[in-house]
Amino acid sequence: MSQLILEEKNRVVRHGVLEMAEHWTIALSGLVLLLSGLFELPMAARYGITTIPGFAWSGDFITSLSVHYAASVVFIAASMFHLLYHGLAGERELLPQKGDLKTSIAVIKTFFGKGEEPPFGKYLPEQRLAYAGMAVIIAVLILSGLIKTCKNVFAPDLSHMLVLWATWLHNIFFVLFVLAFIAHIGAILLKPNRPLARGIFTGAVRLDYARHRHPLWLAGMGPQPSLLSTEIKIEEESSEGPTITAEAAPVAGSGETPVSDAEDEEMKEQNQQETPG
Amino acid sequence: MKKIMNPDRRRFLKTATASAVIGTTAWLNVPQKAWAGEGKLATLIDLTRCDGCPDREVPACVAACKGIKQGSLPEPADPIPVPFPTRKVEDWSKKKEVSNRLTPYNRIYIQKVEVESGGRKQIVFIPRRCMHCDNPACATLCPFASNHKFENGAVVIDPETCFGGAKCKTVCPWEIPQRQSGIGIYLKVLPTLMGNGIMVKCDFCNDLLREGKKPACIGACPRDAMAIGPRKEIFARAEELAKKIGGHLYGKTENGGTATLYVSPVPFTTLDAALKPGPGQPGLRQVERRMAGTDGLGKAVLAAPALGVAAGLAGAFAFISRRKNGSGKGE
Repeated sequence: MSQLILEEKNRVVRHGVLEMAEHWTIALSGLVLLLSGLFELPMAARYGITTIPGFAWSGDFITSLSVHYAASVVFIAASMFHLLYHGLAGERELLPQKGDLKTSIAVIKTFFGKGEEPPFGKYLPEQRLAYAGMAVIIAVLILSGLIKTCKNVFAPDLSHMLVLWATWLHNIFFVLFVLAFIAHIGAILLKPNRPLARGIFTGAVRLDYARHRHPLWLAGMGPQPSLLSTEIKIEEESSEGPTITAEAAPVAGSGETPVSDAEDEEMKEQNQQETPG
Repeated sequence: MKKIMNPDRRRFLKTATASAVIGTTAWLNVPQKAWAGEGKLATLIDLTRCDGCPDREVPACVAACKGIKQGSLPEPADPIPVPFPTRKVEDWSKKKEVSNRLTPYNRIYIQKVEVESGGRKQIVFIPRRCMHCDNPACATLCPFASNHKFENGAVVIDPETCFGGAKCKTVCPWEIPQRQSGIGIYLKVLPTLMGNGIMVKCDFCNDLLREGKKPACIGACPRDAMAIGPRKEIFARAEELAKKIGGHLYGKTENGGTATLYVSPVPFTTLDAALKPGPGQPGLRQVERRMAGTDGLGKAVLAAPALGVAAGLAGAFAFISRRKNGSGKGE
């Protein structure tokens, strides 16, 4: 754990290689599923998608089914791995917690200049809710997709009632998947969340950002040698629970800090916006 | 959800006089109860018997089908929405009398082909309709489950939920389903952007089958050229007949197998070569089931959860034991 905070690089490790691999495996196979699923509708030929270079296959339903199947193998296996691995490892950080909905609404209000963000742990409350929502969507898509696949391969005369349920749930949750994907990308594009995007590409986010916005996460890491330069004050307040403030001390050897000018500017701008008055 | 047939057709069936005729012939000595149950059915089309009904304006099977399905399709919207961007409207509602090809209003027709076989010229009449495949891509790939294969073997399109995208026609090796624009649920959604009517094809007269009756075309044939019965029995009968006349079978292996077996004294390759396939006029070529190529990947999909679970368990146990070892060392 001593490697989590890299003072000199102004970074804090947010995701391990495994988590990033899981995320990108599920995300990329999900995108392929989304596209090949769309092409299972009779739309590619009608709307001229087949004329786009490299997309001639999109009008062939058997080929797009093969692509859909291939992506499904990766998507399902990665999803099941994620569920089992993190479930058994006892990692619960991304599961919704009591009060997440209320806090999420408060956080969303801050995007419109109303109120101030509370200090966060590793994940934002809306991230936890979105995770649960996406998990439900993926679970329904996988279950209904397995029924449809079973019908295609082994049982074309499967109960029509079951096929209707599986098909329509697959279609409806496909739409929800698309909406959730758009919301996911939209959330990353929101200015306060942008520093988090780096984490899923490189595994680490800026330490000054984490100190500013995720002090509970840093505090939860416990005492670390590299955390000594960070002064964390925890003040017990009788009515509102613990309030945690983290003040970033000057980083030793700041001449070597890899934070770019653009990032500095962004951080300054962010701090200015969040300064009351 | 149990109701899957067009209510209009149901109403029509109650009043159709043709239904009185259907099921009255104890044909091929197949007991009536044989097709009343849930067992798999098949049909036999004996091309040595079919003569195209030369004494009739319209062959009996075609007339019976037209009669029993008459009124089953509502009149299309007027004007019919023009689909974007193809602008392709398919309207057969003003040509309902057409009987020399498949249309939404003509679900069976007779092909006439002159061939030279065995050193002599022969005229062969071939009733053509949906083959009711064993694993029909038209049904399994329907994005709305509007097309479904039932346990008795009937492959049926539900006109209430079909959007008329014609995917079923595209994946059918014989391009059997035919589109009627201006009808269907698509009119209530995005009529110019999504869908283009409903797809129509032979439904094996599944309503009649459920009542223990024969399909209209089979019951109407004056030469007993068509039969329906338990699949095993029909297959055995077809094999026997082909052997007896030194003939040929079509439909047993085509597209992975079907519920329609043709028996012909002339090789089907000869018949296919003499036919001139076109829209609504299918050929008789040997066809592989294209979806068979996806079955391997489909099985891999079904195995994927187990693969993920196994990897997850292995990974978790490795992680937990690493954690234990780590904490042990720490102590």
